[in-house]
Amino acid sequence: MVKSMLRALSDWHQHRKQADTDWKNWTYMVLDMETTGLDPKQHQVVSLGWVLVENGAILLDSAQHIVLQGAEIDPETVAIHMITDQDVEELGRNQASVLRYLRQLIKGKVLVAHHAPIELGFLKRLWGTQPMPDLSVQWLDTLALERTKAERKGAIIQEGGFRLGACRERYGLPDYNGHDALTDALATAELLLAQIAHQPTSPTLMELTKAGGGLTRLQSKST
Amino acid sequence: MAAIDIPEVLKFIDSTPPFSGLTTAQQKQLLQGVQVTYARQGEKLNLTGDLATLHLIRRGACEIRSAQGALVDRIADGECFGVATVLEENPEGLQIVVLEDSLFYRFKRDGFQQVMQADEDFALFFTHTRTNRLRKLSRSEAADLATPALQLSTPIKQVMTRALVTATPKDTIQAAAATMTEARVSSILVVEDNKLVGIVTDRDLRSRVLAVGLSADVTLAEIMTKDPAYLGEDYLVMQAQTLMSEHNIHHLPIVDSQQAPVGMLTAADLLRHQELSPILLINQLHRQNSIADLVRVCRQFPTLVVNLIATDMPPSDLGKVIAAISDSLTRRLIELAFERFGRPPMPFQFLVFGSQARQDQSLGSDQDNGLMLSRTPTTDEAAYFAQISEFICDGLAQCGIKLCPGNIMATNPKWRLTQEGWKKEFINWVQSSAPSALLQASIFFDIRCVYGAQEPVDEVIVAMQAEVAKNSLFHATLTKSALTSKPPIGFFRNFLLESSGEHKHQMDLKHQGLALINDLARIYGLACKRYKVSTKARLEQASREKLLSSDVARNLMEAWDELNGLRLEAQRRHFQAHGEASAYVDPSELSPLERKHLKATFAIISEGQSAAQQRFARGYA
Repeated sequence: MVKSMLRALSDWHQHRKQADTDWKNWTYMVLDMETTGLDPKQHQVVSLGWVLVENGAILLDSAQHIVLQGAEIDPETVAIHMITDQDVEELGRNQASVLRYLRQLIKGKVLVAHHAPIELGFLKRLWGTQPMPDLSVQWLDTLALERTKAERKGAIIQEGGFRLGACRERYGLPDYNGHDALTDALATAELLLAQIAHQPTSPTLMELTKAGGGLTRLQSKST
Repeated sequence: MAAIDIPEVLKFIDSTPPFSGLTTAQQKQLLQGVQVTYARQGEKLNLTGDLATLHLIRRGACEIRSAQGALVDRIADGECFGVATVLEENPEGLQIVVLEDSLFYRFKRDGFQQVMQADEDFALFFTHTRTNRLRKLSRSEAADLATPALQLSTPIKQVMTRALVTATPKDTIQAAAATMTEARVSSILVVEDNKLVGIVTDRDLRSRVLAVGLSADVTLAEIMTKDPAYLGEDYLVMQAQTLMSEHNIHHLPIVDSQQAPVGMLTAADLLRHQELSPILLINQLHRQNSIADLVRVCRQFPTLVVNLIATDMPPSDLGKVIAAISDSLTRRLIELAFERFGRPPMPFQFLVFGSQARQDQSLGSDQDNGLMLSRTPTTDEAAYFAQISEFICDGLAQCGIKLCPGNIMATNPKWRLTQEGWKKEFINWVQSSAPSALLQASIFFDIRCVYGAQEPVDEVIVAMQAEVAKNSLFHATLTKSALTSKPPIGFFRNFLLESSGEHKHQMDLKHQGLALINDLARIYGLACKRYKVSTKARLEQASREKLLSSDVARNLMEAWDELNGLRLEAQRRHFQAHGEASAYVDPSELSPLERKHLKATFAIISEGQSAAQQRFARGYA
């Protein structure tokens, strides 16, 4: 008991020490989800897209797009993300195996999303459906980073000014037409690089977390 | 999954030559392992290590510079750099200076090499790019800049003042003022625990202490600007200038990585580096005692202008520098004329018109001038003024300011008039409203006094403005005759269609672009209550007096800068290649970025013309 507490403490200490080094020392998994709605309790995840950032650069080869099995597609949301029931049937992956895969991927990386609470909410919900080990996720939210920056500058940002496209425009990033999970993950990753490049000095992960991030524990289905 | 499966990436690659010409398999091979990176304005990229490979600009703009800092190329969206590091080992040590925040695709070196070997067209494109840049590099090195004056990519530490004058927040104003006076500086840094906490400038002492009657015993902590803007010593002059103009400050503290002050950069430091040579030239002009000597000094003039263009001086500043030099030369010639022909029998003014008046001359501008006499001269006096005019105009011509082909010069007795004579001429022009008369006379409406008392000239301008205000028909005619020239909007389409044919398209940036904005500014300027003569000042005044929307005014000012920049750059290139200036530009020598801007610029002029048409010429069909 004491031993495991000590180990947890030393892990925590190790983590803190590392978090106090340059952000480039970490690998980031930038994630976007397409869902049937915004409420994790009643809506479902349709697909996930992600891309990794390593040594300060986006690795395009790491991009992935996965459609989840069993999601019911609301005809109204089809228009937004262009995924149909048929796609889910043909491409859909088994939810349990996708989650195990995700767990391996997220472990040791920093999760990044634009408006992360939504992604985290759905991840929590998904985790609770499967029996597997808990996972602590270190995460950053590009929307929160943007809001902190605006507050520091005393800038007033119009309604809708924190949407992904609007944030990107402020950094001179190109306009992307598609809104599938993969395109939005890439768009979010580029936004993250731009936000970091606009800091006066290269930030540490700890500084970024303070400005817009946190630590969340994903708990599995109690057995 | 691979990069090629991301729709936005594929779409961009598929629409960007030479990548668009590759097969899907080749594109896939090339895109393997591609990385996306982001760089900020002002960052310098040395193409070594991970960076020694091909980069494609997804969004943004960069400069390619030689190891010595000479500008090789400006590139933007869809263009590549790093070619030399793959084809050879970057023998010229080319580096990249980021002009706008940029997003790059960084390709894997071996993938790029393999595709080059497999696809001849693709390889040809890059070897051609490489040759092209080498050609540009050799040209910019041949420019042989006498002293590389201030380049925007110079690090701050080469320019800043290192002698630090500091105080603590607890020091009194009195003590700080004494320190500043002793050190002969106009600002003092307030430092606590070796960290910069504030700054106090001369202006602060005036406005925050003297003006409000504050006691000299108050501490600096109470009056200093807290947490002032600052920069690190490795930043570039370009960034310092941006920051200083954004914050409207003249003193910029420079700090090290611990935020401890290491130097100070003032507007004067920047100016000193920029304007060293023009000031020297003006000083030299004042010391010469014969036309022959002036001619000798003026031989440096084109080289000086070419240097200033190469150091990216803003066009409107360059225009002012050239005007200051022409004015000095003119005044020195007038003094030499007095030595030769005796003192003038009466006070008079030497007037300049057109581009010298507007302060937007460039290389190869001609002279337009006249005299204003304080009374009607006797026969002898008239002969005296004829003599000195001959001497001055001929001197200007020998010094490189060409004689006016339209004979608008002081040598022409028609343009040696009394104040009443000038007033009559202006009233005549305004009332006649004959388009042909106006077209020739429009140059006189840009008027400036270079020698003699200013007031009599102001009185003529007031009379002229009053007459203009009474005659809306004059404005309509002026507008209509100005609008007969349209910007060459269709030019780019033709260029694209016929670039491979025999027709070599050349564009006259002065007459097809700048002159149109000058005309618009004159129309608005004459409608303003306050007379301004330079084009940008007129547009600004018109916007202030609500004759022109501030958007259109700002766009036109930017367009004017843009065109002037291109014209000066074209002149510089032409001068270096042929020894004489030309305002013609061959679009094939423009980068896609410049072409894009040019196209937008012409659209802005068109918009300005419709606005003028609406305001001044409606109902006068």
